[in-house]
Amino acid sequence: MGILENKGRARVFYKYLSKVYDEVNTFIWTEQMRTEALGLLEIESDDRVLDVGCGTGFATEGLLEHVDGVYGLDQSAHQLEQAYGKFGKRGPVQFHRGDAERLPFADSTFDIVWSSGSIEYWPDPVTALEECRRVVKPDGRVLIVGPNYPNRTLLQKLADLIMLFYDESEADRMFSAAGFSSFEHHLMGPPHSPEIAITTVATP
Amino acid sequence: MKESLMDILACPLDKEPLDLSATDTESNDDDTEVLAGELTCTECGTVYPIEDGIPNLLPPDMRE
Repeated sequence: MGILENKGRARVFYKYLSKVYDEVNTFIWTEQMRTEALGLLEIESDDRVLDVGCGTGFATEGLLEHVDGVYGLDQSAHQLEQAYGKFGKRGPVQFHRGDAERLPFADSTFDIVWSSGSIEYWPDPVTALEECRRVVKPDGRVLIVGPNYPNRTLLQKLADLIMLFYDESEADRMFSAAGFSSFEHHLMGPPHSPEIAITTVATP
Repeated sequence: MKESLMDILACPLDKEPLDLSATDTESNDDDTEVLAGELTCTECGTVYPIEDGIPNLLPPDMRE
């Protein structure tokens, strides 16, 4: 492991990197990109939609423009608190605390499984993608938004160290390994960085 | 959580059905809101708490 071998040094290292990390991270996901991603799906108002890693509810808000209710899942109580502030605990969003790699739902439950800005934190993304495939209905769709692998060398080095970024060929590998029958990738981003996010729509 | 959620919930560990034991509920027009209680896996027996109406379905190894 080299530089991160020692846990104490690793903590200092991550702390130092967190400023850059936040900068990289805040680029990823804008309202315009959310609208673009939503446009890739045909969502009916009575569809059963799961938002995996809903966090503070940014994507959930966009989904609610298309559906009457959303099922939200996140592992972080702290992030969910902010989502409760937006939607209430007993409003249009049914919240759950849970793990993306071990989803607490029966097979073939959802018309749409959505996850944006979460995959980069999953320790084992293929397992989590398999879970998304398991809980979506056979004629449903899984949509995943993640950070596209940066094309600048310095950012690449940081990216490799701090979290998962992936390019289209790596996305191909992950979605195939997770057993999806078909999928397509769309690169998205704000004008100054038009390929910062990679959005995949997959069919189980 | 709405009581009807039981139709789609499963144990995150083995995906088996859960049993609901509610200790505080509130009746709405179309559904019952479970405010407190527990969900127990019918197969492995793992217990998941419902805290202020939010089911905590994190596997035990991920809870604080």
